[in-house]
Amino acid sequence: MHDLPQQLANGLILGALYGLVAIGYTMVYGIVQLINFAHGEIVMVGGFGALTAYLALPGGTTLWLALPLMLIAGILVSTLTAVAAERFAYRPLRNAPRLAPLITAIGLSIFLQQLVFSFYPDAKKARVFPKLPGDPFSLGSVTIQRSDLFLIIAAPLCMLALGWFVTRTRSGRAMQATSQDPDTAKLMGIDTDRIIVMAFAIGAAFAAVAAVAYGLRSGQVDFRMGFILGLKAFTAAVLGGIGNIYGAMLGGVALGLAEALATGYIQHLPGMHLFGGGAWKDVWAFVLLILVLLVRPQGLLGERVSDRA
Amino acid sequence: MTTTTETTPVIPLPARAATALTGLGALTTAASAALPWTWTSDFPGDLTYAGSPAGLQWLALTAGLLTLVLLLATHGTPGLRWAAPTRSHNGVLYAATGALAVSVFSVTAIAVELGGLANLEPGGWILAAGGLLTVLGALGLPLDRRIRVPLRTLDRRLFLLVPAAPLGWFGAHAIPGDQPVAPVMTALAGALALATGAVLLLQLGHLANTWLRLGTIARPLPAPRQLPSWAEVLIIVLAFGLGLFAITFGIDTEYGELFTGYLLLAAFVVPALTRSGLLARLRALTVKHRPVTTGAAFAAAASFPFTQTSDQYTSVATNILIFATVALGLNIVVGLAGLLDLGYVAFLGVGAYAAALVSGSPASPIHVQFPFWAAMLTGAAVSMVFGVLIGAPTLRLRGDYLAIVTLGFGEIFRITMLNLNGTTGPKVTNGSNGIPRIPDLEILGFDLGKTHTVAGIELGRFSNYYLLMLLVTALVVLVFARVGNSRIGRAWVAIREDETAAEAMGINGFRLKLLAFALGACLAGLAGTVQAHVSYTVTPDQYTFAEALPPNSAFLLAAVILGGMGTISGPLAGATLLFLIPKKLEFLSDYQLLAFGAALIILMRVRPEGLIPNRRRQLEFHEAAIPAQPTGDDAALTKAGA
Repeated sequence: MHDLPQQLANGLILGALYGLVAIGYTMVYGIVQLINFAHGEIVMVGGFGALTAYLALPGGTTLWLALPLMLIAGILVSTLTAVAAERFAYRPLRNAPRLAPLITAIGLSIFLQQLVFSFYPDAKKARVFPKLPGDPFSLGSVTIQRSDLFLIIAAPLCMLALGWFVTRTRSGRAMQATSQDPDTAKLMGIDTDRIIVMAFAIGAAFAAVAAVAYGLRSGQVDFRMGFILGLKAFTAAVLGGIGNIYGAMLGGVALGLAEALATGYIQHLPGMHLFGGGAWKDVWAFVLLILVLLVRPQGLLGERVSDRA
Repeated sequence: MTTTTETTPVIPLPARAATALTGLGALTTAASAALPWTWTSDFPGDLTYAGSPAGLQWLALTAGLLTLVLLLATHGTPGLRWAAPTRSHNGVLYAATGALAVSVFSVTAIAVELGGLANLEPGGWILAAGGLLTVLGALGLPLDRRIRVPLRTLDRRLFLLVPAAPLGWFGAHAIPGDQPVAPVMTALAGALALATGAVLLLQLGHLANTWLRLGTIARPLPAPRQLPSWAEVLIIVLAFGLGLFAITFGIDTEYGELFTGYLLLAAFVVPALTRSGLLARLRALTVKHRPVTTGAAFAAAASFPFTQTSDQYTSVATNILIFATVALGLNIVVGLAGLLDLGYVAFLGVGAYAAALVSGSPASPIHVQFPFWAAMLTGAAVSMVFGVLIGAPTLRLRGDYLAIVTLGFGEIFRITMLNLNGTTGPKVTNGSNGIPRIPDLEILGFDLGKTHTVAGIELGRFSNYYLLMLLVTALVVLVFARVGNSRIGRAWVAIREDETAAEAMGINGFRLKLLAFALGACLAGLAGTVQAHVSYTVTPDQYTFAEALPPNSAFLLAAVILGGMGTISGPLAGATLLFLIPKKLEFLSDYQLLAFGAALIILMRVRPEGLIPNRRRQLEFHEAAIPAQPTGDDAALTKAGA
């Protein structure tokens, strides 16, 4: 177990990534009770937006200068996509039976994937994403990749900003009110349509940050990256208690840690020597979800909500 | 009550002139099939002969004759009155539009593929003229129309796209090609152009709708002539024979152009027959003779292999059956019980893998060979166990969780099958190579892998499997019909509509949902056992969430939704269409999934109840669109209240 600190660090970093994406699921779900399946693809679109910005800059631009521009471009692209999706695909179905918007979301997810696959230049294969140059640095026995620095700085900043926005600003409180009771919120003079768009937009902005972090970490973006990332992030949102933004982050970290520990240690358990390593990490994440749902269906921080008929 | 409908022509023509024009156009269209349309045999189907129709020409002939028959029928021609019991001219207009669609499509296809209109022979021009004349004439017939249809305009801001599109084009051309952003600019300009086109088309559609104002007038179906019951049975049998012929024609189309034309024609013929009242009359007959109908449908399906000379299309048909059966199983879960299952194909995979492992394949680590009935039971049972394992923890929760857990399960199943390859896990499934060389089935000494001769017709390997699969399909249909109409089925529908209310009525929601889920899994597993033998090999990649070719979870769900949730014929029709379209239209292959995703989004907005809707669901989705029908009782009540 001598590498436990390293595994914990890996898990935390991975978990922060999941948490950033999970925010998008949880905010939209908290307000309109919709699982936005296409959110994973919003992440992917953001990644490609950032990549486009990088390619458009003259060669040799230092990444410290390029990174903010890439981030802006990614956020712009993913937010626009999410807002357009809300306006044209989800809003007309707001009063339809629950299955209809879910299927729209699946369609949208396939559509966005294929749009990038077919029309983004050379997107049939993974595209190379820049990495932060330099050696990894180490703190005691823990080694941290330089590219992960972005995530380590960005994730807490994003969370702090979101926490401040939700609790301290007028719009944030309007958002809370809408998620508690949309009808009453409307009666109190809140423009719920605007709040819903805002939830989609904030989720998409976080998704773009996550996408840049993902690209820096793995050195590539590809048109499929949103699927598994989205699935994991949704798992994280459910783990933490869907609808709760702190829960999303906590769920992300819990999932990341569980995944890292399962990858590192499961094979040392008696009788499990064949089920460890990277190949099985998705399976264990999923098993964890089922276990949590069995024991605590409302998630770690969630409250038991009654069905709204 | 004010009337909201009228019977007037769209184009003011004297009634006789309109009829004559339509008839002339229909005749011309039909007659053009006997003339050569083009000079060269390069166009698929070889349309160069006089007097012997081929390919697309058959479609033109059908469209022309159908229009003519419907026209004569609406005018009460003795002997043809059965074809249009309601006497509505809208059916004629639909058939005429079908003729126009076929002629425009054929002429365009010839001109595009051979490079210019010069390649048309006079027959092609006659075809085009015929199509146009038919529709012009039909627009002059007294049609059922709404009195007022207000013009809908799209959001004005969308029209900003119209000046934006040329700007995008200009921008794409202003950037030199060696710049790294140039392709992105091109893509952006393309997207702008597409969006502009879509906006303009949509607005054009609204304009046309306001101009045509087509509607339906509830015309009572006149009481049918009393026929002896053998004659009614004969009509049903004939109808199914025709249906078999139509479907066989679709499956056997050899090139994409013919299949597109076929789909176009079908898209107009079905509404034409609905408007004319013929389908309603047929439905009344089938309801009256339900056992005969079921038998005839089954017999028609079973006789498909006997119409084929080679195994080429029976293999397609077998795969359609597998896909359709699984879709029907999914319809229990989604359509009846309202549980969204996004990993359903994994249950098919579980069944297929279970059957492959006990099939005696040399690659299977378990060296046993179960007889087929035992393998089927094994597959279904293992699948059901997985269904219960997945369902039990999640079905207690709100419905949305199930969607994600099943999506996860589908993915995990694939990953697990990949990993059980001896290096990253125990050696069970051979990883990505799958389990190959699954032996052919032998049932009661009948080897399904060999060619047999029955009644002088050779039945190849796929024909045998087709017939076996048909039995499985029949079983699933039977289960669906019996369970759907039972106490359990009604409980499912109640849960789907409102779980809280259903539980208040004494329904045990969790147990019934688990039952639906397990039953669905079990039926998919059953289909999987046959699929394993049909395809020789099972590999993890056959069971993904979204791929270009069915069956996969997304396409299965789409088949159910496209066809109509909660019905039997809906998923069967949806699966057939979704299987044939990618198979036949290979030129689409690059953009197939793109179109599929877009189609799902549009479908949910336009027709969420599917092609063959369950009556109740249709009402549910279009609550606002159904005019309140004040009955005598209501009026009395209002008066009493006042």
